[in-house]
Amino acid sequence: MPVQGIKAVTTARNGVGAFILQCKRLDFHYCDWAGSSRGMVAFLKHKLPAIAKENPQIEIRVSPRPHRHPVIKGQYINGREKAICVRNLEPEQIVNKVSLLKEASGEKLKRIKKPVSSINESVRGIWSPFHGEYKGI
Amino acid sequence: MFSRSALARSLAVSEQLCTRPSVTRIQASSSPLRSAAASFHQKSYAAQQATQTTPPSSSASSSAPFTPPTTSTTSTTSTTQTTQQTKIPPPPQFTTPLKASESLLETLPHLAAQRPHFLTALIHDRPYLITEGDSVRLPFLMAGVEPGDVLRLNRASVLGSREFSLKGAPFVDERLFECRVRVMGVDAEPLRIKEKTKRRNRHVQRVTSKHRYTLLRVMEVRVKGVEELREEGVDVVKE
Repeated sequence: MPVQGIKAVTTARNGVGAFILQCKRLDFHYCDWAGSSRGMVAFLKHKLPAIAKENPQIEIRVSPRPHRHPVIKGQYINGREKAICVRNLEPEQIVNKVSLLKEASGEKLKRIKKPVSSINESVRGIWSPFHGEYKGI
Repeated sequence: MFSRSALARSLAVSEQLCTRPSVTRIQASSSPLRSAAASFHQKSYAAQQATQTTPPSSSASSSAPFTPPTTSTTSTTSTTQTTQQTKIPPPPQFTTPLKASESLLETLPHLAAQRPHFLTALIHDRPYLITEGDSVRLPFLMAGVEPGDVLRLNRASVLGSREFSLKGAPFVDERLFECRVRVMGVDAEPLRIKEKTKRRNRHVQRVTSKHRYTLLRVMEVRVKGVEELREEGVDVVKE
């Protein structure tokens, strides 16, 4: 019998019991003067209050960033940040970008080929030649 | 019809939806309070009814539990009701009770008692072998769901444990098990660039694609016991 390490009692798996949205904060940066922020300013005036009310679990910060293109930055629970430049976009397009940031997991984008990933032990166990009944050839 | 347990009724789906080989939306919510109450859906509903029936001013609305509170109710009750107001799925409309052979009822306790279980769930006719706690990235973007929603997968081909498995022909009856998944969000793949060339031509066309996928987390995989099936009503078929 090989030496076995002490097993962890539980592993945190979001969503199995309680669910916590991964996006914790959204930063909106805009410029009052520049034309590329026109859609962003309209978004902040007319669309953002409703979005903030719908998503009380997300902290929302709005701050000017003069002489720069408008940017939305999402902060995630895993510590990563996702930034989207929204220059020259209409308010409706910015709403789509906000929902993208909200629904994202914060992980780096990866190409995944297998749909199911599991940390559980195999339910059926590993096949052993020394167990089970003898099957004649 | 036949009697069903309260939890099963709260999570069950209509027959029209069952005939489609996909999932059924259980609850539409994104706020943490509502999603935390998802697994105790029936309880939250009962609590909602209790809050409505306790104040005397809203006694008129107790007969119709989903009407919004009247203006005479206090602001605290109205806030709790707006946060707990959830979409309750239509109850299932099974025309015939579950049919099970005697041998199935004899051997099912062995399977139900041996945990953990695995399940080959089918979504759009594609199999996903899942256990409790797994995360699934569907190969498509599921429409009409938000992060935090709870779905119940009602189509499975194999149900099993370490030593026993129940194979459907071709599907296991959805009243024999419960499998719920949580919508975690939307993931995207890295931008793919495919270079297309024509012969004897220097021009290279670059086609880009970036698909989006729905992330799920398996909350529960449970095989119902014989007593539970008997409570819900089962027709024993003699072989």
